[in-house]
Amino acid sequence: MEREAFLDRVRHGVRAAHLPPVSDVLAELPQAQETDLVRLFRDRAQMVNTVVHGPMPRHSVPRSVVGIATGHDVETFATWEDLPAPGVAAALSTEGYERVIEDAGGADEFRRTPYSRVDFGVTGALAGLAESGSFVLDHHNGRSRLLSVLPLIHVALVRVETIFRSIAQWAHERPDTVSGTANLVVVTGPSRTGDIEQNLNLGVHGPKHVHVVLIK
Amino acid sequence: MSSQPVTFLGRARELIGTPEAAAVDRGVRRFNEMRLAGSAEYAVMEAMRDRVRAIRLHSLRNLDKLLDRFADQVIEAGGRVHFARDADEANQIVAQILRDTGSRRVVKSKSMVSEEIELNPYLISRGFSVTETDLGEFIVQLADDVPSHIIAPVLHKTAAQIGKLFARKLGVEETADPTKLNQIARDHLREIFLAADAGISGVNLGVAETGSIVTVTNEGNARLCTTAPRVHIALMGMERIVARWEDAAATLEVLARSATGQHLSVYTNVVTGPRRSDDPDGPEQVHVVIIDNGRSDILGSDIAEILACIRCGACLNICPVFREVGGHGYGTVYSGPVGSVVTPGLHGMNPWWELPYASTLCGACEEVCPVRIQIPSMLLKLRERAASEGRLPGWLEKGMSRYRTTATDPVKWASAKKWLYRLSGLVSMGGYIRRVPGPGRGWTRFRDLRRPAKQSFSDWMRDRDGA
Repeated sequence: MEREAFLDRVRHGVRAAHLPPVSDVLAELPQAQETDLVRLFRDRAQMVNTVVHGPMPRHSVPRSVVGIATGHDVETFATWEDLPAPGVAAALSTEGYERVIEDAGGADEFRRTPYSRVDFGVTGALAGLAESGSFVLDHHNGRSRLLSVLPLIHVALVRVETIFRSIAQWAHERPDTVSGTANLVVVTGPSRTGDIEQNLNLGVHGPKHVHVVLIK
Repeated sequence: MSSQPVTFLGRARELIGTPEAAAVDRGVRRFNEMRLAGSAEYAVMEAMRDRVRAIRLHSLRNLDKLLDRFADQVIEAGGRVHFARDADEANQIVAQILRDTGSRRVVKSKSMVSEEIELNPYLISRGFSVTETDLGEFIVQLADDVPSHIIAPVLHKTAAQIGKLFARKLGVEETADPTKLNQIARDHLREIFLAADAGISGVNLGVAETGSIVTVTNEGNARLCTTAPRVHIALMGMERIVARWEDAAATLEVLARSATGQHLSVYTNVVTGPRRSDDPDGPEQVHVVIIDNGRSDILGSDIAEILACIRCGACLNICPVFREVGGHGYGTVYSGPVGSVVTPGLHGMNPWWELPYASTLCGACEEVCPVRIQIPSMLLKLRERAASEGRLPGWLEKGMSRYRTTATDPVKWASAKKWLYRLSGLVSMGGYIRRVPGPGRGWTRFRDLRRPAKQSFSDWMRDRDGA
C-alpha cells in the first residue's frame, strides 16, 4: 500500500478516536530516593546471575579478567579493540589463551563465523544501569555485535562513573545515544528462558555466564 | 491458526479441568507472584505507570504524525519502510523482500503480529524455510501446535512431552531434563542462525524521533536474528510507536516488571538502520513492515484505547477466566482480557462477539495493566455492540428488554419483587435456592443462592427511617 494512502487511514482513525484525556507526558521523571548506585548495581546484577568484580583501578583489570577466564573452560577469546582498560588481550594471550581476530577488510564478504568458535568475549560498556543491574553496549567504531552474543562467557568492563539509576533516567539524560549507532543493546544478565515448565535455564542462545568488572 | 470460528464456550468446556488448564493455572500463579515481587522493589511503579499511560495515549493521539516521522527516520538511517494494509499485503511484502534478496533460509524471533497475519504458513507454502528461534515458539513449531500464552507459548506442555518431541523430530536421546532440552535447542538452532539468509523479528516499540526499533527478549534470539543474517525484516503493528527514545525507555521500565517481575528483560535490542560503514557485523538491509490489518478501524472507534497495550500479559495472568481456560480457549492469537477486546476489533464481531462475554468484569485486568487500560469498560462496549447487532440468543434479548421495562417503572418493579419472592419459594429448600431450571442452571450448578428476604431492602429502609 502507498504510504500516503496508509497514513490517510490512520489520520481518519485519529480523528474519530475516542480516547481518554492524558496528563502531561513531560511531567518530571519519577525517581526513587538517591542511594549508593554502585552498591545497587552490584546487588541487582547479582540478582540476575551476573558476577560482579571490583570496583578496581584500571591497572588491575587485566589480571581480574584473566582470573575470570581461569574459572571457566576457556580456550579461545576475542575482545573489542577499544576497551576502557588497556592490556586485557595481551594478558589473556600471555596466559596461553588463543585470540580470535576477525580479519579486517573484504567489504562484500559477509563474515560472522569467526566468533562462533570464541569461548570468551570481552567488551566495554557505555553505561551501567543500577536498578536493573544492566549494562549498555554501543556497537560502532568497529565493535562487533556477535562478540557479546555467540560466546558462552561474556565479560563487560563498566566504569563506575557511567552508572545511572535506571534505563529511564539514562535515556532522559542521554537522549541522543541511540541515533549515534546502528545497534545498541542493554544486557541484563545471562541469556535465560523459563519456557520449559518455568524452569530457569541460562545460556539458551546467548552467553551462559556474564561477568562485570567495575572500574574505579 | 487465528480465525477458526469455534465458540468460546465449546472450547472452554473441553479445556476446563484438563492437565493443560492446570499447567496454565500453575504457570500464571507464578507469574503473578513474580510480578508482585518485582514491583515491590520498584518504588516508583505507580508514578511510572501514569507516565507510561500518558506516553501511550499521546502516541495514539498523534499516531499519523509519529508514523510519518518514524518512516522518514528509518529511511534517513538507511532502512526501508513498507506499509501493509492487511495480512495478505504484509505477507506478500515479506515474501517479495526475501525473493529480491535471494533469501531462502529464514530465522524468526517471537512476534505476535507474525502469528496474527499467519506469516509462517504463507512463507513455508512458497518454499521458504522458516525456523522459530524463541525456545517456546520453536517447540510450538516442531509440535505443529499453537502458543497458549503471549509470553510463555508452551506453558501448557510438560518437559517430558517436549523431550519426546525432540527425540522424534531432532533425532536426539529422549530426556525430561529442562537443562538438557535447553542445550539441545541451543546447539540445533545455533547452526541454523549462522546459515540463515534473513531474520524476521517483531517490534516492541518504534521510536519516531530516531527511526529505531526496540525488541526485547530474554533468550537473545532476537539479537541473533537481527545480527547474523544479511537481511533483517521487522514486522510492526502500526500502534507500537512512541515519540522519543526516553519514552521507549520509560515504557520498558514497566513492561518486564508487569510481565515476569524482572526489572528489565535480558536483552533490550535497539536497531537504527542497517550496519554502518565501520560496523564489523549486522545486517546489510533493514526493512520495517508497518501493518494496519484492522488497527485503523479500532483507532477510529470507542475501543481505541486498547491499542495502548504493550503486550506484557499481566491481564492474562490475573484473569480468573484465563486461569481456568488457558490461552487456547480463546481460539485466537491474542487471548485473555486484552484479546477479548483486540480480537473482535481486528477481525470483526463475527464470530468473535462472544469473547467479551468471557469475563466476570471483576476489574483485575485494569488494576494490573501497566498502562491502566480500561479493559472492563471496553468489554461492556463490545457487549453493547453485540446486543445492538442482534447477536445475543433470543431468550436473553427478550429477558433483558423485559427487565428494562420493569426496572424503570416503580409500580411494575414493586410488583415484580413480590412475584419474585413467591417464585423463589417454589425453587428453594431450607432457605437456599440450590437448583433452578433454564438459563440459571449453569449458575446454580456450583453455587447456592440464599432465598430473598420477605421484606425488600427498600421497604426495610423506609420502615427504619419512618420509625
